[in-house]
Amino acid sequence: MDYNWDFSSILLYKQLFWIGLQNTVILGSVCLVLGLFFGLFVGAARFSGKLWLYYPATVFVEVFRNTPVLVQIMWFFFAFPIIAPFRIDAFTAASLGLTLNTIAFSSEIYRAGLQSIAKGQWEAGKALGMSYSEQMRRVILPQSIRRMLPAFMNRAVELFKMTSLASVIAYGELVYQAKVISTIEFNPIETYTTVALVFFAVLFPMTIIVRRFETNNSVGR
Amino acid sequence: MIYEWDFWVVLSDFDLLLLGLFNTLKITGLALVFGVPLGLLLALLRLYGNLAVRLPVGFIIEFLRTTPPIAQLFWFFFALPILIGVEINPFEASVLTFSLQSSAFFAEVFRGGIQSIDSGQWEASKALGMQRNETLRRIVLPQAVTRMIPAFLERAIELMKTTTLVSTISYADLLYQTNNIAQSTYRTIEVFTIAAAMYFVVIFACSLAVRRLEIRLARTGETLVNGRT
Repeated sequence: MDYNWDFSSILLYKQLFWIGLQNTVILGSVCLVLGLFFGLFVGAARFSGKLWLYYPATVFVEVFRNTPVLVQIMWFFFAFPIIAPFRIDAFTAASLGLTLNTIAFSSEIYRAGLQSIAKGQWEAGKALGMSYSEQMRRVILPQSIRRMLPAFMNRAVELFKMTSLASVIAYGELVYQAKVISTIEFNPIETYTTVALVFFAVLFPMTIIVRRFETNNSVGR
Repeated sequence: MIYEWDFWVVLSDFDLLLLGLFNTLKITGLALVFGVPLGLLLALLRLYGNLAVRLPVGFIIEFLRTTPPIAQLFWFFFALPILIGVEINPFEASVLTFSLQSSAFFAEVFRGGIQSIDSGQWEASKALGMQRNETLRRIVLPQAVTRMIPAFLERAIELMKTTTLVSTISYADLLYQTNNIAQSTYRTIEVFTIAAAMYFVVIFACSLAVRRLEIRLARTGETLVNGRT
């Protein structure tokens, strides 16, 4: 039980941690931006009521929501390259898996948000001579995005936690760097504690902001 | 790019995959068995403990919720044994990690459920001469638990998906078996696709059941709990 904590070995490798954190942020941001962007279209496809759009979008969403994200990442890293016509490195595989996963989850947020807007808003837009995309862009989305914001931020927190899974396929994010350092220095206690603290320091403020948003929103309405 | 698919090679190892699935369910089940009561305890401590209890408990819950499960798993598997000087095998580390991790999430579900109960219920119980513990046990929790059931089950499904991480510390769950079979047969794409399909069947079935239950609860909810729309 007498273990001497020694964080000096961590300071020695702070460069690696820094690189790891950068890679975590890069992977997370890329997947977040792409996921939220394409999620809108998938969500709109499920919302549209057109069956030829609804069914493929639904299958996509259910598949990615109901399989573990680690399986998705590993599928894209180990299995997909066999049939893909191009090379796939760890970053591509991880961002493919995480992006598609984020698309699936965010599309559900969009769908719920769109459903929460009263039908009269669409009809009013139509009465003013707006096209479908105009109604969506100028009337519906601006109102619903505000309601969706807390859910999106929750999703972002989840996503940044999920980027740690990319360490399994040797993408050099935080957990992977910790693994490397702890095998060199044999200090898993300090390295993994540091990694957990870094994640906590970054994500906890985010969750507080989300909570504040949620209460503000519910008070406002 | 023509690839010749061959699912038969993989299907001959299907018993290994089933064994893996069984282990996945075992870890999930055990984590639920330990995680739910612990979650209730944490929620009660966070709600009704004094400041010296509330703050550390709150910190533990938030910490477990905002750090990646894989970092927690590695911590319990690689770091904890050194710290306490006791060997911990992959199975124990997995159960430990996922019990604690899910308890933090369950604690928040419990807390939300308990807080959603109208304060009039507390006052009515007090008027009937009930103690706080009694009120909690006989009035508040029974009502809260009904409301929490969907959130619980959703969390349990999330938990099952997260247990795939145990494959990284060589516990023989479905994903670990998949990796092994892929390496021995070189039929990577087939075995990973089959494994994904197996996960999908199990998890999707659970999700559908939860959704159906949710609709039923929402319908009966108004008669079950007064004053709630």
